[in-house]
Amino acid sequence: MHKEIADYLNSVVSGAEAKALEAEVGDSSVLVASEHILKVCQALKDSDEHQYNVLQTISGVDYPEGVGEDKTPVIEVNYMIASFTKNTEIILKVRVPRGDDENLPKVDSVCSVWTAADWQERECYDLVGVEFVNHPDHRRILNPYDWKGHPLRKDYKAQEVYQGMTVYPEDKQNIPEQDFIVEQNKLNDEAKAAAKKAREEAKKDN
Amino acid sequence: MQDSVVLLKMDDFLNWGRKNSLWPMTFGLACCAIEMMATGAAKYDLERFGCGAFMATPRRADFMIVAGTVTLKMAPRIKTLYEQMAEPKYVLSMGSCANKGGPYWQHGYHVLKGVDEVIPVDVYVPGCPPRPEALIEGVMTLQKKVANERLLRDKWVKNA
Ligand code: SF4
Repeated sequence: MHKEIADYLNSVVSGAEAKALEAEVGDSSVLVASEHILKVCQALKDSDEHQYNVLQTISGVDYPEGVGEDKTPVIEVNYMIASFTKNTEIILKVRVPRGDDENLPKVDSVCSVWTAADWQERECYDLVGVEFVNHPDHRRILNPYDWKGHPLRKDYKAQEVYQGMTVYPEDKQNIPEQDFIVEQNKLNDEAKAAAKKAREEAKKDN
Repeated sequence: MQDSVVLLKMDDFLNWGRKNSLWPMTFGLACCAIEMMATGAAKYDLERFGCGAFMATPRRADFMIVAGTVTLKMAPRIKTLYEQMAEPKYVLSMGSCANKGGPYWQHGYHVLKGVDEVIPVDVYVPGCPPRPEALIEGVMTLQKKVANERLLRDKWVKNA
């Protein structure tokens, strides 16, 4: 089914570069070129054959080490869409370079196709930092408007002070306890490794 | 009866009235608030202690139950609410989150590590979430504190 949709998209949107990603485990999806996401979504919604009339969710995922074989750091935006008339569901993906705080990756907003995209795109912008071009109300949605950074990026560092409040006050961090736990975990790991080795050796002897 | 006279210290008289009508503010932040609602409802009945009248405005409330996770976004608002309450006012911090950041103490970039970073707290109730009995005990502790205060001497005479 993903293959047919990819073929359909390639035939109606030139340059869509739609590719079916067949997953062995988990959900398969269709990857499209990020510049054409708006046209792709419009085509999927308008087509008589597919009629994807519902946007279920948009989610952003950060891959600082690339996806699979491809090692270029990307942010993936997933569009989970469904057709209530045809009873089908599909995941659309676009991948954009990660950029940085001054220079966020840009994707076209699909609010004009499904109004439900409004808050979903705001959330994606807030947490992983993807800018949605032509979004009607491009603001953060969960974090305060004066927040710095995008918390679900893997390299996110929490602010030290926010509006005069210390985010991690030293006297409340139980640093000796944390050190103790780290130490204990190390000892546990060593003990486990030693036990494993002993087991393997016993097996070899047999 | 109607002609009898009761002799007692003014402070004790005021405190007796105050401690038996401690009105909390209607105000809940996260999962702990559900437990606070249960405390207010019929089974645990906070009204037995004179604390069941949850006030919809800080101006009429005597104390604030900080029930739940205080995010950095919410903290300035809590401070404003606290400042809007009339003296004498009290704060009861309910649950690990409000006490010290709770489950978010180490990795919660968005959580204030304890509401006492922004407002003074009178009673801490531990638990995640505390059972209604624990909250009731917290309220009773607060009542004891109120009963032992010398408002006339400490606040008004001194500042007069
Ligand atoms: S202390 Fe536990 S129950 Fe209470 S708000 Fe925090 S996480 Fe929820």
